[in-house]
Amino acid sequence: MERLPLLVRWTWGVSVAAQLVLFAVLLVRGNFRRVPIFISYVVANFMQAVFVYMIYNRMRFGTLNSVVLAWSSQACIEILRAAAITEVLRLLLKPYQGIWGLGWRLLAGAFGLVLAVALIAAGHDFSWALALADRGIHLAFGIAVVACLLLVHHYSIPIHSGYKALLGGFCFYSCSIVLANALGGLLFVQGNAHFQTIWQSATMIAFVAVVLVWATALRLPLPQRIQPVEPQQADTTYWELSPQINGRLRELNDQLGRFWKPEVTRH
Amino acid sequence: MSLTLTLLGALVALLLLLLAWTLHSSKKLDAKGTFPNALESVGRAHVEFLPQIRQALAEEDEQFLSRAGAHLLCRRLQRERKQIALSYLKALREDFDSLLRMAKVIATLSPELGVGQELERLRLSIAFLWKYQLVQVALYAGYATMPRMAALSNSISGLSLRLEEAVKAMGERAALAAEMISPSDRSRVHFS
Repeated sequence: MERLPLLVRWTWGVSVAAQLVLFAVLLVRGNFRRVPIFISYVVANFMQAVFVYMIYNRMRFGTLNSVVLAWSSQACIEILRAAAITEVLRLLLKPYQGIWGLGWRLLAGAFGLVLAVALIAAGHDFSWALALADRGIHLAFGIAVVACLLLVHHYSIPIHSGYKALLGGFCFYSCSIVLANALGGLLFVQGNAHFQTIWQSATMIAFVAVVLVWATALRLPLPQRIQPVEPQQADTTYWELSPQINGRLRELNDQLGRFWKPEVTRH
Repeated sequence: MSLTLTLLGALVALLLLLLAWTLHSSKKLDAKGTFPNALESVGRAHVEFLPQIRQALAEEDEQFLSRAGAHLLCRRLQRERKQIALSYLKALREDFDSLLRMAKVIATLSPELGVGQELERLRLSIAFLWKYQLVQVALYAGYATMPRMAALSNSISGLSLRLEEAVKAMGERAALAAEMISPSDRSRVHFS
């Protein structure tokens, strides 16, 4: 039976231990109540790590059956990851209904567009398509999270440090996977015998780093959910004032464009 | 394949830079991007001082000095006028930013946003910044003639009075929203 390399097995063990620490921190600090989908994602990740380790130990590593089982479990993780990211963004933007309305459309649009492009580019070869699709999904995650964070930054919306760590961690991990997959693909094409070890170690080290950051950040309790302010006049105020502000900004722009043109000032 | 890796590497680097920038720019926003600051700045447009600026920049003085043969004094006057124009341009930028901040506060408190309105504002902001840089370079280069600035005044100060009234109502709502965060949570909240 082809076994996993020692480095990968060690990293795997550290990853499982880090996830247990994160799980314990979430339970002890009571944050699991605020981010239930995120804790489901953590639990699912832990179970997947054990499941995949058992598969690779019982079956020959790299056989079709082991690949299908491992990637099927990965699909569940990706769905939970998307749900956990959406949960955090929703918690962040819930008090700002208008911006949340804009934000989820941006998230869905950016994710859908990048994923569609990645899946089209993935091709038909099963194993190759899986790696490309995985890279595409993570690229879509990264772009969607950054797009939403830019929106949050644009409107000067406060972010609790715990949520910063969660979103930053998701984005950093996705970026690491994109790079690791691309690097792994390159090594595979070049015929490098250790491409699997390098790819698996890189992805797991990135994951362990992110889990440890999450565990550190979530030692502090996350803020209470903030109820949105009941709309009274704000809806009409926006529709009344926003076009006026834009009109004034446009005028200011037009006049700035004519700034250096000589004009008659005599009366 | 190596080209793909390079492109992906560049894209990932860009994403990580944007991530770091959005997550670590809280200190700057604490200083100028908070709701109270945005609310305070509304209604104090620099263009309100336009009559004084226009008087200071009147062409008659320059013509008089040229006729009188005081060329050194005339050059000094031109230099100082350029500084005034630059300062005024900077002030206009502050007015523009103030309007933008106000628009953001209104958008933040609104239960519904118009995508068209928001995109239009984004486009205007980019256009303004571009033109602002061009005008600044032109002024530094001594290319620009003194502009007529009265219309600029009307474009901002007219709105500021209207905004001031709306902001009072919105400010109460912002204060209410801030009160909904418990004191212990508020101490840990940072502006991204």
